[in-house]
Amino acid sequence: MNRHISEQYDTELAEIKARLMEMGGLVEQQLERGARALINHDVELAESMSSTENQINKLEVDLDEQCVQVIARRQPTAGDLRTLICVMRAITDLERIGDEAHRIARMARGMAREELPEDQYGAFRELNTMVARQLASALDAFARLDEKLANEVIQGDEVIDNQYRNIISSLKISMADNPNHINRSMNVIWAARALERIGDHAKNLGEYVMYRVKGEDVRHGGSS
Amino acid sequence: MSDKATLNSTDSNQVAQQGAAAPSSLQTRDLSLFYGSNQALFDVNLDIPRNKATAFIGPSGCGKSTLLRCFNRMNDLIDDVSITGEILLDTQNIHADSVDVSQLRRKVGMVFQRPNPFPKSIYENVAYGMRLQGGSSKSIMDERVEWALRSAALWDEVKDRLKESALGLSGGQQQRLVIARSIAIQPSVLLLDEPASALDPISTLKIEELIHQLKNDYTIVIVTHNMQQAARVSDYTAFMYLGKLVEFSETDNVFTNPKEKQTEDYITGRYG
Repeated sequence: MNRHISEQYDTELAEIKARLMEMGGLVEQQLERGARALINHDVELAESMSSTENQINKLEVDLDEQCVQVIARRQPTAGDLRTLICVMRAITDLERIGDEAHRIARMARGMAREELPEDQYGAFRELNTMVARQLASALDAFARLDEKLANEVIQGDEVIDNQYRNIISSLKISMADNPNHINRSMNVIWAARALERIGDHAKNLGEYVMYRVKGEDVRHGGSS
Repeated sequence: MSDKATLNSTDSNQVAQQGAAAPSSLQTRDLSLFYGSNQALFDVNLDIPRNKATAFIGPSGCGKSTLLRCFNRMNDLIDDVSITGEILLDTQNIHADSVDVSQLRRKVGMVFQRPNPFPKSIYENVAYGMRLQGGSSKSIMDERVEWALRSAALWDEVKDRLKESALGLSGGQQQRLVIARSIAIQPSVLLLDEPASALDPISTLKIEELIHQLKNDYTIVIVTHNMQQAARVSDYTAFMYLGKLVEFSETDNVFTNPKEKQTEDYITGRYG
């Protein structure tokens, strides 16, 4: 893409993109910490996540304001307009991913006193790995405006949904077999639910990339 | 040299025809224009839909005003201009021998960058064209003047001073008066050559609102340097560059997702 005649405009857009990636990096970090806190029952780690969450929230507000300023002052069009619209949508999803990651970490507190069979963590770990990969791919696709990768993220959400459903099914059986496990199984269900939602947000990011690159709204299967 | 322009404009014609609810009012076919040996327009193929607003945008010298002036043969007034190709108004070739240029200009009105009211009363400015045509009674003339001034959203501001000089009006009012004068003779097409570039923002918005109203009854073609204005007022946008039609499509598409890189570079303010 050629440079703008106004260098300041280039600088403003570059800064917005850089800060979006910074926000994405923090959110990835939160997801990794949240899952680790849950699996290791690490309450201290879970509690340490608040400061990063505050950073993420601040970035959301700041980026929103920066985008509004550019829209008001520059009246962007075409690719520039689509970039800003995508950033404004993406920051909402990223902030919610941060919330979900924190939610997973909070489950660690409830489970710190309980034992959990290794096999249940296995399925959860697997789901977490898939979701983390989806999020990383979505952010890469955003950074590189990679239509192919964005499409893979969109398609990949179904695999995550299936894995989530498998976890729910196996936990239902576990709860029925052993009512003593209900409390911790419910916690795992909530955590898995949070991961599934993060997968949905990553899919949204992929859809925004498609809109940025092709100018087509592919949300809800593109039925606009 | 002209292959790409022809290809692009042919493609865009299809877009325009698919998207247009109304048939074309003005059409150009392989239109080229030369100032002496200097070619200013290259094989322009364009279908301008009826009763829609179409904006021409592009950098200075791209040929947008030259193209606009083709539609009422204003270029005939310039020495050494030659034209090849065809321009059709409602399917009739406007360069045919049978076409009376003054009749053509009655059908295709034009408003310029700077308002140019005659040094006459407000009433006489609007009635001027009808007087040239002759045959209208005083009462019909009064009715038509009021109708034209109302259509140009000026009636309420001038109804009590119709006999006063038009030169006493503000720039924005004068421009609306000129538009009233143009529509008083009921043209089918209104050509607007940067109609708001000499006006303040409020007057500009009034002109834009007027364009929005007028396109229900007239085919509007507007040349503007103000891209946001093109985005606001037009249904279709043509982007021109170096005398060629680069892209022609619904305005919604041109400003959010242009197909041609040259268009994107221009409307986003990039080096081409």
